[in-house]
Amino acid sequence: MTGYLYEKDLRQMKYNILTSTKHDEAVRAIAQRLGLTDAKLRMVLIRRFDMSLLENLGSRWEMGQQYADNNDDPVAEELGCELFTRFVPLVDPQVMQSICDETRAMIGNESSRDEAIARGKARIREAVLS
Amino acid sequence: MKKTVDVSIPLGPVHPCWKEPVRLKCETAGERVLRTEVELGYMKKGIERIMRGRPWQEVMFLAERVCGICSVIHNMVFIETMEEISDIAVPPRAAYLRVIVNELDRMASHILANFSYCYTIEHETLAMYLLNTRETVLDNLERITGSRINTAYMIPGGVRFDLLPEDAAAMLADLVKVEDEIRRHTRIFETGPLIALRSKGIGVMSREEAIRAHTVGPTARASGVEESDLRLRHPTYRALGFEQITRTEGDNFARIMVRFQEVFQSIDLIRKCVERLPEGPIRGGGLCKAGEASYSGEAPRGELTYSIKTDEYGRVLDIAIRTPSIMNIEACAHSMIRDVTSIADVTSTFISSDPCIACNER
Repeated sequence: MTGYLYEKDLRQMKYNILTSTKHDEAVRAIAQRLGLTDAKLRMVLIRRFDMSLLENLGSRWEMGQQYADNNDDPVAEELGCELFTRFVPLVDPQVMQSICDETRAMIGNESSRDEAIARGKARIREAVLS
Repeated sequence: MKKTVDVSIPLGPVHPCWKEPVRLKCETAGERVLRTEVELGYMKKGIERIMRGRPWQEVMFLAERVCGICSVIHNMVFIETMEEISDIAVPPRAAYLRVIVNELDRMASHILANFSYCYTIEHETLAMYLLNTRETVLDNLERITGSRINTAYMIPGGVRFDLLPEDAAAMLADLVKVEDEIRRHTRIFETGPLIALRSKGIGVMSREEAIRAHTVGPTARASGVEESDLRLRHPTYRALGFEQITRTEGDNFARIMVRFQEVFQSIDLIRKCVERLPEGPIRGGGLCKAGEASYSGEAPRGELTYSIKTDEYGRVLDIAIRTPSIMNIEACAHSMIRDVTSIADVTSTFISSDPCIACNER
């Protein structure tokens, strides 16, 4: 069956979007927040996001910084619960909810807060890369 | 029993309703649209790459060729960014003339967007009426700048042509005609029962979704996002007492009505400018210098940002343009079209957000 060439591989075009000046800044900031390398995050973004979402990545990131997780929940804020599910949708909301709940439970069970947050962030990284 | 199957329906890249090539891939269950993906890349110009390394005198002409529908604002934002970098002041008369030309361009763009929408919902009579009215607006743009589309009207420190008193009088007379016609068209749009069926409650985007996707311009204002018009922060518009138009419905109808209301507002702004037009020079002069700045202006579709880095000769070393359609198209695909109950509403909803593919792909 005849297929369209542009449907077969959009990776180059998506990579071009991500490496433009402003998008590159956003990718580096997101990668730093997640604790991932820039290249790995780019790979995930190219695989998961469509082109319009990639084009809008910088704007969504900016709005996320301004409006996400403003509900006085320090755990959600540190993990970026809304930021990585609704503004930059890299993690499934249900998975993120379970990570948040587990982190809160760990803090409640007298383990160190920093340790619990680090564990939560590690699980978010796993979810992003999965 | 009829079996319901999930199918992927492609719309475009060449589609009678699209002004420019873009492809929407809609995944549907029966008539319901579950997911939409926008595919871009059919008209990539690479204009930012072409701009790099060139002197501002060349980049100025390239900037307004990013988009043919809102070329004046590309010219204006580029020039105002250069003025910010180089600390160049604009004479008051030139500042008012800039607003006049910018508002004429906004009117032409809004009328074209509403024409497209009416054409898409197959109200061709109203669509053709609107195109006819747009001609008068473009004639006035030509009267002031000498050109209908790529005007290159603004230069650092001023504008290229003055507004003669006889031209101002002719423009004001034309605006009375345009206002009457648009009032009639708005009434047709507001009261048409078939238009309401295709527009009210269709493609609804909530205020929260609009904020999340950073939607801008009439698309954001139709969803009730306050302070989303950058003209509120522009010194000349503030002097003219500009107030933002906002609606809360967030549907196709609201997006079109915001544009109609903004056309009336533009007419008022032009009248105020002509009335208060100060005497004096139209060019202040000044040299473009080395520096770096990011500056935003309100294009007909929303916030347009130019980030520019220049050297001591005024050459553009680096430039990044963020156009309003980038945000609006994404919000359209992921918020407005998602869960639309009829595939027939996809085209009209997409057009209601006034997508500019030329801007988006640059």
